[in-house]
Amino acid sequence: KTSSPKCFIITVYPAPGPVPKDQVRLYSMRFCPFAQRTRLVLHAKGIKFETINIHLKQKPDWFLEKNPDGLVPVIETPAGEVVNESVITSVFLDEVYPEKKLLPATPFGKAQQKMMLEHFSKVCLFKISSARRKGDDVSGLEAELKEKFTSLNEYLVKRKTKFFGGDTITFIDYMMWPFFERLGMFEVQHCLDHTPELKKWTELMLEDPAVKATMHSTENHKTFYNNFLDGKPDFDYGL
Amino acid sequence: NFSERCRAEGSPAPGPVPKDQVRLYSMRFCPFAQRTRLVLHAKGIKFETINIHLKQKPDWFLEKNPDGLVPVIETPAGEVVNESVITSVFLDEVYPEKKLLPATPFGKAQQKMMLEHFSKITPQLFKISSARRKGDDVSGLEAELKEKFTSLNEYLVKRKTKFFGGDTITFIDYMMWPFFERLGMFEVQHCLDHTPELKKWTELMLEDPAVKATMHSTENHKTFYNNFLDGKPDFDYGL
Repeated sequence: KTSSPKCFIITVYPAPGPVPKDQVRLYSMRFCPFAQRTRLVLHAKGIKFETINIHLKQKPDWFLEKNPDGLVPVIETPAGEVVNESVITSVFLDEVYPEKKLLPATPFGKAQQKMMLEHFSKVCLFKISSARRKGDDVSGLEAELKEKFTSLNEYLVKRKTKFFGGDTITFIDYMMWPFFERLGMFEVQHCLDHTPELKKWTELMLEDPAVKATMHSTENHKTFYNNFLDGKPDFDYGL
Repeated sequence: NFSERCRAEGSPAPGPVPKDQVRLYSMRFCPFAQRTRLVLHAKGIKFETINIHLKQKPDWFLEKNPDGLVPVIETPAGEVVNESVITSVFLDEVYPEKKLLPATPFGKAQQKMMLEHFSKITPQLFKISSARRKGDDVSGLEAELKEKFTSLNEYLVKRKTKFFGGDTITFIDYMMWPFFERLGMFEVQHCLDHTPELKKWTELMLEDPAVKATMHSTENHKTFYNNFLDGKPDFDYGL
């Protein structure tokens, strides 16, 4: 990884050159939970990659040319293929790089992981923190969240596995992780109190090398997020 | 030989899926289930259909799919897959004849990114029709829809292809079709007036055998949809 982690903004850095032949390039933002999914896959599979962080409030024109949506994560290959969306990039990388497969081999195994992800995507953590900031009562939203955590917990209990795809970490665990890493930031970590297997899963995830390589502490997450909600995000916080 | 009439609460549970086919749980007018039906027909997969009464769901259906939604695919091995896109990909992976998804990881990623873009259009269609029903002014919403159609049209023009994945029908065309089939039902067919390539695409799709096997006329769609919006859906309309 040779690029500076400081994010590229239009007035400071020119367009990057082509992606070197033996790696992929990730366009990212250091605190983005969606980009963290792709970073987890890159680390877990041992893929050689470089990162270019983007200033998400002052996006470079050259970035918008590659991805008109303007969002991260984006993966660019030496052949100039551009893939965006966190899940699409993650699946793409798992398919291109055969070592350490994260998705199951069978069509049904893959479908099961996608159905789990679909369920998980209905968990809405951002709603709770914006309600709390406005001073609204969050007890109803927290009760909903606890129900969803209970249902995730029951899944682990019923399958008797440590992780969501079996006894080793697979794709679905990495797709879910960035949001669980941020439970402290969202001030809902107490919602895990009655779901011991799910709590244990978070502890096991924290021991994973890819998680360790991509995570931030709750304090750093909180600082970034509060600045972001105040309209003054510091994408380079901590550098 | 199964009756097309929908099965409601209290109806007996169906037996296991016969060994040489798959079973689709569906509803005759559902656009999401139509995606899976298009894939089944296009690939020549042997299947039986059980239509579900979506306001009085049988217990045995909720046991298979607690979400209670269609489409659901069940295999002879008892594997249950739900969600329109997940079932469609699953079928394309299990049945090797007439592949609908591209062979390469990037080709698959491109189709998924197109589908992600398209998925922003579907909620707008429902929004326009419920706004119109309430007597609200829909010109703003229709303008937004026209912009999205223009962007889809430009995609076809730029690639110089008849369909969204090339010169033959592929996965992405089938995933998008059910909503275009219903433009008359949503009373927005005029929004295609300035997008000739997109309009031509709809005409080509209407000639496809899988589309012909699964479609309804605009009048039938309108009748069903109006009853549905009035709270009195007739899932067996036309039988």
